[in-house]
Amino acid sequence: MLRITFASLLVAGMMLAGTTAQAQCKSFAKNKCVPGLAPYKFNETFNGAQLAPGDEAEVALTFYSGQEYRVMVCVHQILGEVNWKLVDQNNKIVFESMADDPKPAFDFKAASTTQMRVVVWVPERKTEMTHLGCVAIMVGFKE
Amino acid sequence: MPHMLHPRKLLLPALVLLLAACGGGEQPKDTLQAPNADSLAQSERQSRTKKIFYSIPSPMETAALLKKAGASYNGKILNDVKNVDTYTAASKQALNLGVYGADLSYASVFNHTQESIFYTSCARRLADKLGVTSAFNDSVMGLMEQHQNDREKMLDIISETYWDMDRYLKVNDRENISALMIAGGWVEGLYIATQVARTNPSAELKQRIAEQKLSLTDLVSLLETYGEDETLKGVRADVKALAELYTEVQAGGGGVTATQENGVTVIGAEGEAATLTDSQLKAITEKAATIRNSYIN
Repeated sequence: MLRITFASLLVAGMMLAGTTAQAQCKSFAKNKCVPGLAPYKFNETFNGAQLAPGDEAEVALTFYSGQEYRVMVCVHQILGEVNWKLVDQNNKIVFESMADDPKPAFDFKAASTTQMRVVVWVPERKTEMTHLGCVAIMVGFKE
Repeated sequence: MPHMLHPRKLLLPALVLLLAACGGGEQPKDTLQAPNADSLAQSERQSRTKKIFYSIPSPMETAALLKKAGASYNGKILNDVKNVDTYTAASKQALNLGVYGADLSYASVFNHTQESIFYTSCARRLADKLGVTSAFNDSVMGLMEQHQNDREKMLDIISETYWDMDRYLKVNDRENISALMIAGGWVEGLYIATQVARTNPSAELKQRIAEQKLSLTDLVSLLETYGEDETLKGVRADVKALAELYTEVQAGGGGVTATQENGVTVIGAEGEAATLTDSQLKAITEKAATIRNSYIN
């Protein structure tokens, strides 16, 4: 009985921690990342999660012709720098930012409507501690 | 000279009337529960959403594209604010939260302030019914009224409210409501675009409608991550029916080339621009109307 109760509490605690982490990630994105999109208008779509070293995340984004865009990968400092790239549907790299030479954002104009993917991967660290940190993939556009 | 009332003076009584008309307060006939934590579908979704995201253009971005494509404003095609109280089922409330959100974005981008405030009231009413109260705190309406003559500020307030609402739903394990809201908003955006194209079938507008194939594919993928969630079954079938009509539509995409023009990176697709035939447009227009009308009625 005690074991069940403890297990239930543990699961509940983990769920709560997950929810809290997600809430913190969104707050981090709103407060720390959205201002970095200026003068572009945030597209209101949150693509972000808590990642650990070795983790990878990706999002497919549609860019419309005639619009100007800023793509930004915003990372909580606890994770350090991350690697990220923008690739087309043939996996050709359009833009790349590596952890040892990070670039905060990529600005461009879309001459045609196209879909590209942002791929983010967190470098492994030589440490026994595993840090989880928020990584947000943000897009801003100009009307 | 006849005495004229300033629009601002008309706004508050109109708002009071609207909120009174919203009335109601009935409990939803169905409820949207967080999916069973043990279900395989959910565990798959959780593991996948950590790694893969589906980004659906927001109603504001879609409305801005419509305006840029030369579309005009037609308030008659939007969902009637009086309908807000007829939505007693939670799934309908969630869908119409998206529908009113899209109508709100359309009205705001075209600078129809009074309609914007009416649609904000409706969205707030539905958000309250769904228990998404924190996204629409009392200051939102006050801020909109205060900045009603400042289009950019209005757009910022609406964007922030949409963001807060989506954040609240996702953080509180009510992602199926978020998915219904996103689907409702996307369908309303397509409905508006196709209805505007009926009277103004410009090449650019037709291109924008064809390009929706790209985001529709992502919407289908997003809804599929919910597995067999019963609350999303109907909507999933609806978007798949639309996707079927888009099968033969040329939507652009493919590989890209990057060039530099005056210090600006310009990305161009290697394939042809999106386009659709008149018969494809007609079929999509009719299907979008059928689906949308089933959501609002």
